[in-house]
Amino acid sequence: MKGIIFNLLEEVIVSHYDEDTWERLLLATGLDGAYTSLGSYPDRDLDGLVSSAALTLGLTPFEVLRWFGQQAIPRLYSRYPGFFASQPSTRSFLLSVNSIIHPEVRKVYPGAQVPTFEFSDDPGGGLLMGYRSPRRLCALAQGFTEGAATHYGETVQFEHRECMHKGDERCLCHILFSSDRSH
Amino acid sequence: MFPPDEEKLIEEVRKLKKRLARERAARLEAESIAEHGLRQLYEKKEQLQLLGAVAVAANESATVDELLQLTLNKICATSRWQLGHAYLVRQKGNEFHLISSGIWSEINCGWMEEFQLATRVIEKPVMGGLPDRTLTMGEPIWVADTTEDTGYPESEMRRLEGTKSAFAIPVRAGDQVAAVLEFVSEQFIALDEFFLQLMAQIATQIGRLLDRKRAESQLIHDASHDSLTKLPNRALFMDRLTRALARNKRIPHVSFAVLFIDLDRFKMVNDTLGHNAGDELLIQVVARISAALRHEEMIARCGADEEGNRETLARLGGDEFTVLLDEIRDPSQALRVADRIQKTLADSFRLGGNDVSVCASIGIAISGTAYDTPSEIIRDADLAMYRAKSLGGSRYVIYDESMQALGASRLQMETDLRSALKNDEFVLHYQPIVELKTSEIVGFEALVRWRSRPDSELIYPDQFIKIAEDSGLIVPIGAWVLRQACSVMCTLQQEFPRERPLTINVNLSSRQFSQLDLVHQIGRVVSETCILPGTLGLEITESVTMDDTDRTAAVVAELASAGVHVSIDDFGTGFSSLSYLHRFPIHVLKIDRSFTGRIDFDAESLAIVRTIANLARDLGMDVVAEGVETKAQAARLKSLDCKFGQGYFYSPPLDETSVRRLLHSQEMPMPHPRAR
Repeated sequence: MKGIIFNLLEEVIVSHYDEDTWERLLLATGLDGAYTSLGSYPDRDLDGLVSSAALTLGLTPFEVLRWFGQQAIPRLYSRYPGFFASQPSTRSFLLSVNSIIHPEVRKVYPGAQVPTFEFSDDPGGGLLMGYRSPRRLCALAQGFTEGAATHYGETVQFEHRECMHKGDERCLCHILFSSDRSH
Repeated sequence: MFPPDEEKLIEEVRKLKKRLARERAARLEAESIAEHGLRQLYEKKEQLQLLGAVAVAANESATVDELLQLTLNKICATSRWQLGHAYLVRQKGNEFHLISSGIWSEINCGWMEEFQLATRVIEKPVMGGLPDRTLTMGEPIWVADTTEDTGYPESEMRRLEGTKSAFAIPVRAGDQVAAVLEFVSEQFIALDEFFLQLMAQIATQIGRLLDRKRAESQLIHDASHDSLTKLPNRALFMDRLTRALARNKRIPHVSFAVLFIDLDRFKMVNDTLGHNAGDELLIQVVARISAALRHEEMIARCGADEEGNRETLARLGGDEFTVLLDEIRDPSQALRVADRIQKTLADSFRLGGNDVSVCASIGIAISGTAYDTPSEIIRDADLAMYRAKSLGGSRYVIYDESMQALGASRLQMETDLRSALKNDEFVLHYQPIVELKTSEIVGFEALVRWRSRPDSELIYPDQFIKIAEDSGLIVPIGAWVLRQACSVMCTLQQEFPRERPLTINVNLSSRQFSQLDLVHQIGRVVSETCILPGTLGLEITESVTMDDTDRTAAVVAELASAGVHVSIDDFGTGFSSLSYLHRFPIHVLKIDRSFTGRIDFDAESLAIVRTIANLARDLGMDVVAEGVETKAQAARLKSLDCKFGQGYFYSPPLDETSVRRLLHSQEMPMPHPRAR
């Protein structure tokens, strides 16, 4: 997992709680917490921090990741405004993850293991997003999506139709955008 | 208040927090710088790979289109330029303009179609627009902000709507801009010198391929076109004809015609004014015929498809041209074209300082007959052309099957001529040349005849020399004539010894004259036949001397030093280049019979003969008037100081026996020439 995720998590925790909370999470997971966006770190570090946060904050890990995703978007925007500016809507922003954002990540970090989402239009309306990754971070994906919607002044309904956490082979998320509904 | 220690501690914590914030900010800054650096490193690596890939593709035999597509794809994939497009430069007259190559590349831009449309809809790029300006300036142009006033025309601004930056670079092939690559982006992209250099190197690579492809296509073009007239050559014509024939087999009602064109007086122009003038004439003739065909095409087209000419004018070689008239409605169209071609050649041509008239004999073959190969069609058109020529030239003739026999008879004659050589069927006749003042025979001109069977009539040269020349048989025939004439003269000189020995003149064709070992051959004949030195004369036409004047001068000089005289035959009928005459040690000018025949009633002919006689005297040459047929002519010639004459007034050409008889009689007191 890229260091940027750990940096963002720290920023989100510290700004919503305080530094001590982050320190306690590190203490509980036995991590030293020295993360830089330039580095890559074990996935289990993130799992540990999320589990600890869930315990500490009285939430499920799913809720922690979703909330973190939502909160991370404004911070990502302040670091990489170009990715947002070039896309006019939540939907196109999501689609640009495969085509622009992740390719860009790979340019800077050649070994970065970024997921590829399988996008397709749902005949019944909305967007279907397939996701396969041993990290099983579909909650984070939902949080990012919702955060992006907030950025674009939209709302989304996010539904996990299939989920690796429920024993499915992949996650299949159905995303209905407020722009879809207004039509 | 906190105790002092505690206060100090709080102060310490505050400072530490500030330091921590500073450290964090520094870390973020460092990360950002590092990411930027990594991103740049990546781009540079990509760009170098791009250059490498383009270089490899350019060096391998990729097509230009493939290379352009690959280049645009790679540039758009590795830079922030989202859309790339290649224009090709087209030349129309002296003007160069751009057309879309139809080769595009785009990365993540929604307005691709819009931009394509705006770029294509106007057929060619906006005059004064970015690509056009790049072509004109021959330099890359980088517009970092297309939204501010860039000084481009409004239509160009509309085309660039939606972009924020644009960039175009010329691709040179040789010293000309051959293509322009244009890139646009909806991001602002500041001028990047490194990128610019990279693009320049890429443009160079593409230019190299364009250069090579041009050279290749030039080679292909050269192999299928005549270098002088730029017309398709025989190979290409045969190819087109093959296709027309195949189509005609499939769709018999769509017919075609082949016109075989041969210029009537071309050889004389070539021979008397030189090859440069001949070449120039061909170019002018082709220009006129092409224009006539274009005119015909305009009439015939009437809303037909715009692609491809239905007329192919080709040069088969020399002064032979062919026209393929494809998809004609009826044969009358072919006649109309033939007529138009002849009319277009009617006005004289200006060559250097000379006005030259040529006309064309045209043979026409129509696809209607059952043809299986293109050669058959060309053969028939050729036969029809020969018929046109034999009818006096300057006309057109449609092939019909009776001409097959004519063609066959030509072939037969060639075969017969070969066996005539082998079987010794040629004979020589000798026409006396007399000194006008004394009527004394000074020599003879040897003239060839052909007796195919002992009992048959003599065949005269006008019936076989043309075929002998065409087939190259003239060389061995001429060699036989030379040897035979020399050996006969040798015996005559022994039988009729004179103070001024008898001379013998032999005609030499241009093909014989152009043999490299000519002087050697003649030298051998002279020594082997023991003809007296200084008594052999060779008659060549003006045309032969003008072929290659340097060589002529050298050969004539060599012959002269070997004691062989050279006469110019038929003098006055060609395009005399008098300026050359003094360069050759010519002994005799032979005035053409056409002037002699008119000398006593036509002032112009008289003036010409007088001029030739004066010219000869000034240049130290002798003059022989040919075709002297009357006493009046002989008298007039004498009065003009013309020294020698030959013609029926004195004697027709005689066989060897008659020559002896005549010479014997001359040893008696001079007989008076028979009156006419």
